[in-house]
Amino acid sequence: MQMFGFTGLIFLFILIVYYLMKTFVGFQAAQNLSFLWGLVGGDFILASFMFNYFSSTASGSSYLTLPVSNFEKWLCAIVISCILYPLIFMVFYRIMDAGFVAAYHNSLDPNDPYYKIRYDAVYLLSFTGNPARQFYPMFLIFSGMMLIGSLYFNKVALVKVALVICLFFFGIYGLNYLFARMMFSNIDDAFPFQHVAILVGKESGAVELPKNVHDPIWYFINFGLPAILFAVSFIRLREKEF
Amino acid sequence: MIEIQNLSFGYKKRKLLYKNLNLKLEAGSIYGLLGKNGAGKSTLLKNFIGLLFPKGGSISVNGFEPKKRWPSFLETIYFIPEEVYVPALTVEAYKNLFSPFYPSFNEQQFYSYLEQLDVHDKGKLNSLSFGQQKKFIIAFALACNTKVLLLDEPTNGLDIPSKIKFRKLIASVFTDDKLIFISTHQIRDLDNLIDRVIIVDNGELLLNASVGDISEKLCFKTVSELTRPDEILYSEESLKGFSIVTKNINAEESKVNLEHLFNAITEKPILAKAIFQN
Repeated sequence: MQMFGFTGLIFLFILIVYYLMKTFVGFQAAQNLSFLWGLVGGDFILASFMFNYFSSTASGSSYLTLPVSNFEKWLCAIVISCILYPLIFMVFYRIMDAGFVAAYHNSLDPNDPYYKIRYDAVYLLSFTGNPARQFYPMFLIFSGMMLIGSLYFNKVALVKVALVICLFFFGIYGLNYLFARMMFSNIDDAFPFQHVAILVGKESGAVELPKNVHDPIWYFINFGLPAILFAVSFIRLREKEF
Repeated sequence: MIEIQNLSFGYKKRKLLYKNLNLKLEAGSIYGLLGKNGAGKSTLLKNFIGLLFPKGGSISVNGFEPKKRWPSFLETIYFIPEEVYVPALTVEAYKNLFSPFYPSFNEQQFYSYLEQLDVHDKGKLNSLSFGQQKKFIIAFALACNTKVLLLDEPTNGLDIPSKIKFRKLIASVFTDDKLIFISTHQIRDLDNLIDRVIIVDNGELLLNASVGDISEKLCFKTVSELTRPDEILYSEESLKGFSIVTKNINAEESKVNLEHLFNAITEKPILAKAIFQN
């Protein structure tokens, strides 16, 4: 019940984000941001409930001694957080997105000379195109991190894992920037495992990883890292003492 | 049914709570595990059920290694921790959700035990008092008919009538194919219930004996004066003189006083060991 309640709250939050962003920024930003927050952020919160039993001695003992294998317990968490939630969210998102887009299209005046341009400017967010495709690995990585985190941090796992991720991200970002500064003096921007942007006069150019280095890293981050995270969460559950 | 060989366990690697503990517990007995606060009673129970893993040695429960927490193992054992957890479900919903995990669960027994413990269906379980929640879990655990039942401080949170009902119920449901293991520091609550006593202190097994053995080897009596103090394991001033525990040299018949026994064993462990080894 708690999970249903939170899922409902997440959806309500996403609806508000979409509406506000659409009104004050624009449709594309509203679609991208609400999809990102709903899928990645929403699932991150929901995943923190999967092993929430360990927040108290009584419920943790009860959960671990239930005659179900560790694998089934883990699988149950994966199915809820990584299959059911995204499916339900995407159905909700599609309905919400379709509603807002239809409302926008209906609000246009067919006699307006820019009607066609304005109509074509807004379409449903594609679940298979960019940037949605970039969000899927993020969703899996954050979900995996949360599952592991909630098995390590018994209490307020959500906050602790969020802090660890922030520290990790800023650590890597800072380290990457530091190394880039050591090699180039005119850095504009640098993103770990992706690029270093260098200022040449007033122009900025990106130094990207060569393809033979970029591709393995890309595959690792998209597929290898989530798989490792989920495997570690299973091992941690199996080895969990309480 | 439960066999421990050279068990070592500690929360810190350098400070072991148990070192080379050997213990064999058979079906057909109600064991009472007595120990001071922090002696490691709950820790031992958690090792039995697989919530904690031994650092050394081995534990076998019903032929399984608890650490692996196989479902086939977990359905043969039920652990009632000191603080119980009940979700926001009704009695009926709880039974429907959790009873299928225990193949020997008996619905009739479940409702009968609830009746005997005065637990009445009043909405969601989490709205019941702590004592009522605990009695509910005890009733459910007993109805699961598992071969091994582990109870950690089961009488904590129960009022006096409930403690009596709990003792009666445990005694009435006990059969020879079961092993009931009760850990407590409220020794009086186990009076007339347990048939074997295990005492642990400082990670050491000080006593593992049947009540019959204890009354055969020790004498619990009240004397007006303390004579031969070196033979006395424990003495306590009482209204009629001194309540003492001594070696039962003259084969006297006396009722085992668990509280005095515990004090005697923990205060003079070497002497007690010598008595029980013979």
